[in-house]
Amino acid sequence: MKRQIPLAFCFLFGIAMIFTQFSPHSYSQAVYKEVINWGLIISPFAMVLAVVTLIQTHVTRINLRTEHWQYSLIVFVGMIVMVLIGVPFGPQNSIVEWLYNNVQVPMDATMFSLLAFFIASAAFRAFRARSFEAFLLLATAMIVMIGNVPVGDLVWNKVMSWMPWTDGASWLRQWILDVLNNAARRGIILGVSLGVISQSIRIILGIERSYLGGGD
Amino acid sequence: MEIIGIWVAAFLTLCIYSFLYRDNPFYRFAEHLFVGISVGYIIIISIHQGVIPLAWEPLSEAISALWAEIVGTTTPETRNALWGLFRILPIAIGLLFFARLSSRHTWLIRYPIAILIGFGAGVAIPNVLQANIFAQTRGTIEPFAAMNAGTLSVLDTFNAVLIVIGVICTLTYFFFSVEHRGPINWLSKVGIAFLMIGFGAAFGNTVMGRLALLIHRVGFLLNDWMGSIF
Amino acid sequence: MLEKIMNMDRRVIFILVALVVIFPTLVPVRMPITVSEPTRNLYDFIETLPSGSTIMIAFDYGPSSLAEPEPMAKAVMQHCFSKGIKIIGMTLLPNTPTLAHKLMRKIAAENNAVYGEDYVFLGYRPGTLQVILGMGTDISSVFETDYENKTVDEIPMMENITNYDQIDLLLDLASGSTTEAWIIYANTRYGVKIAAGVTAVIIAQMYPYLQTGQLIGLMPGYLGAAEYEKLLNAPGDGTIGLNTATYAHLLIIGLVILGNIAFFIQRRREG
Repeated sequence: MKRQIPLAFCFLFGIAMIFTQFSPHSYSQAVYKEVINWGLIISPFAMVLAVVTLIQTHVTRINLRTEHWQYSLIVFVGMIVMVLIGVPFGPQNSIVEWLYNNVQVPMDATMFSLLAFFIASAAFRAFRARSFEAFLLLATAMIVMIGNVPVGDLVWNKVMSWMPWTDGASWLRQWILDVLNNAARRGIILGVSLGVISQSIRIILGIERSYLGGGD
Repeated sequence: MEIIGIWVAAFLTLCIYSFLYRDNPFYRFAEHLFVGISVGYIIIISIHQGVIPLAWEPLSEAISALWAEIVGTTTPETRNALWGLFRILPIAIGLLFFARLSSRHTWLIRYPIAILIGFGAGVAIPNVLQANIFAQTRGTIEPFAAMNAGTLSVLDTFNAVLIVIGVICTLTYFFFSVEHRGPINWLSKVGIAFLMIGFGAAFGNTVMGRLALLIHRVGFLLNDWMGSIF
Repeated sequence: MLEKIMNMDRRVIFILVALVVIFPTLVPVRMPITVSEPTRNLYDFIETLPSGSTIMIAFDYGPSSLAEPEPMAKAVMQHCFSKGIKIIGMTLLPNTPTLAHKLMRKIAAENNAVYGEDYVFLGYRPGTLQVILGMGTDISSVFETDYENKTVDEIPMMENITNYDQIDLLLDLASGSTTEAWIIYANTRYGVKIAAGVTAVIIAQMYPYLQTGQLIGLMPGYLGAAEYEKLLNAPGDGTIGLNTATYAHLLIIGLVILGNIAFFIQRRREG
C-alpha cells in the first residue's frame, strides 16, 4: 500500500506515455491527452513541498535562536505581505507588481551580478596553467573571451592585416564552439542521454525506487 | 510611485553590493527579504497560474454543470463541462502533497511523486532517444555522406573528422567498463583534451554572462537612479 | 613585489572590476561588431516569414539573468512587429510572468502593436514537460485563459491557432535547461522549428543542436543581442552592453596573464 501502489502508478503512467506516443489511434491519443492533463493538474501542488521546507527551516532557526535568527522573521514578513495581497487579488495587482519590479527583480539580478566580481577574483587566483590540460582550458577560455567582444576583431584587423582573412578573433571563437566544443558536448550529451534512458527504464520497471524515500 | 520604486531598488541593490566589502546586516536584510518576497511571488503564481486555471475553474464549472443537470437546465455546454468532474481524481492526488505537513502521513506524497516521475520517465525514453542519441549520431556521421558526394570543402572535411575523433574520445573517457590502459588510455587522454577545450569555451562564455549581469545593474544605478537625482 | 601581487586583497580586484564597468557606462564607445552565422540564420528565417505568420516566444529566464535575454527579446519582437508577424508569449518559469508581461507590453507599445491582434501573453503553467507536450495537442488545453484572464479561444489572433502546427517558429529565450526540453519534446515530437537566444553561460551546450539543425538559429548572450541589433540597424541595450563588456573582458584577461606570470616566476624560484 505504501510502496507498491505508488510503484504501480509509476509503471502505468510511464508505460502509457511510451505506448501512446507511438499509436495514432483515437483511443490512444485520448489516453495521451488525459495523462498529460493529469500531469498538468498535479504539478502546481508540488509547490507545497518547496514552501513547507522553507518555512520549516526558518521556523527551526527562530525556535533554536540560531545565529542571525532575527532575519528569518524578515523572510516571513516578505512572504506574508506578498501572499496576503497577491493570493486574493492576483499577480497583476499593482502592489504585487510594484514589489516584484522594485524589490524582487533588482535584488535577484544584483545577487547574481556579484558573481562577476568573484569570477574576476577567481580568474586571477586560481586560473593557472599548471598542466597541459589546464593550459588547454585556459587558452580556450582566453580565445573565446577575446572573440566574444568587438575589440578582438578590431585588434586582429589592425595587427594581423597581412593575413588573408579578416575578423580572425571571432572566426576562431566560432570555430572552437562549432567544432572542438561541439565534439566534447556531443560526447557528454550521448553519455548523459544513455544514462537518462537507462534510468527511466529502471524507474518504470520499479528497479530504481530512491524517489520514494526511506521508511516502509 | 515610480521614483520611490527606483530608490527602493537602488537601496536594496547597494545593500547587496555591500557584501563585497564583507558580510553585514544590510546584506543579510536584503538577502532574507529577497527570499521572502520570491517565495511569496511563487505561491501567488502557482495558485493563480496553476491551481485556479487547471484545477479549480474546470472543477467549479463541472459542479455548476452537475447542478444544472440536477435542476434540469442542461445545455450542450454544461453537459460538456460535466467531464470536468473527472478532474477530482488528479486534484485529490495533487492535494496529497499536503501530506508533507504531517509526519505520520508523509508517505502519501509518494503517490503524486510516483505519477510525475513515471510520466517523466515515459516521455523521456522515446524522445531523448530520438533527439539526443539518433539525431546527434546522425549529425556526427552525416557530413561524411557529403564528403563522399564531393560536396564538402577541405575545411569542413577536416572539421567533420575532428568532431568524430572528439566524440569517440570523449565517450571513451566516460567508458568505465574497461580499464583505461594502452590505446584506450590514449583515446581517453584525447577525450580529456576535448573536454578541457569544451569547459574552457564554457568558462570564456560564463565570464561574458556574469559581466552582463553586472553591466545591467551598474546601468540601473548610473542611468535610472543617478539620473533621477541629477 | 611578486608576493604582494599574489596576495593582493580581493577587494582591489573588485574595485578594478567596478571601475571598468562604470567608466564605459558613463562614456560609451562603439566598436564594429561581426555578425556570427547562428544569429544571421535566425534573422534570415524571420526575415523570410510572410506577414501574418506566428512565432511563439518562451521567456524562460528569471530576474537573475534578464540582462542578456531582454535585449534579444526587444530586437526580435521589433523585427516581428515591423514585418507583421504575430507573437505568442509564454514562460515555463514561475518567477517570470510579470517580467515577461511587462516587457511585451512595453515593446508592443513602442511598435504600436495591439494586444490580442498582434501579440498575446499566455503566462505560466507549472510542469515543463506537461506544458510543452500539452500545447502540442491543443494550446487551449494548457492555457484556457491568457495572463490577463481572457479566454484564449476568444482572442482574435488565436482564432486559427490550435497547436504547434500553426506556429512557424518557437524562440526560446533561456538561461537554463529549457531549450533542451523544447528541442527534445516540441521539436522531436511535434516538429516545430526551434531557435534560441541564451545567456552566455549556456551557449557552449547549444552547439551540438545547432549543427544537427535541431536549432535553426542561436543568439549567444549580449553578443547575439548586439548582432541582431546590427542586422536590424537599430543599436540598443545589446550593443551598449557588449561594448561595455569589452573593458571588463580585457581586465580579466590581464588578470589571468598576470596571475600566471607571477605563478611561473614563483615556481621557477622555488625550483
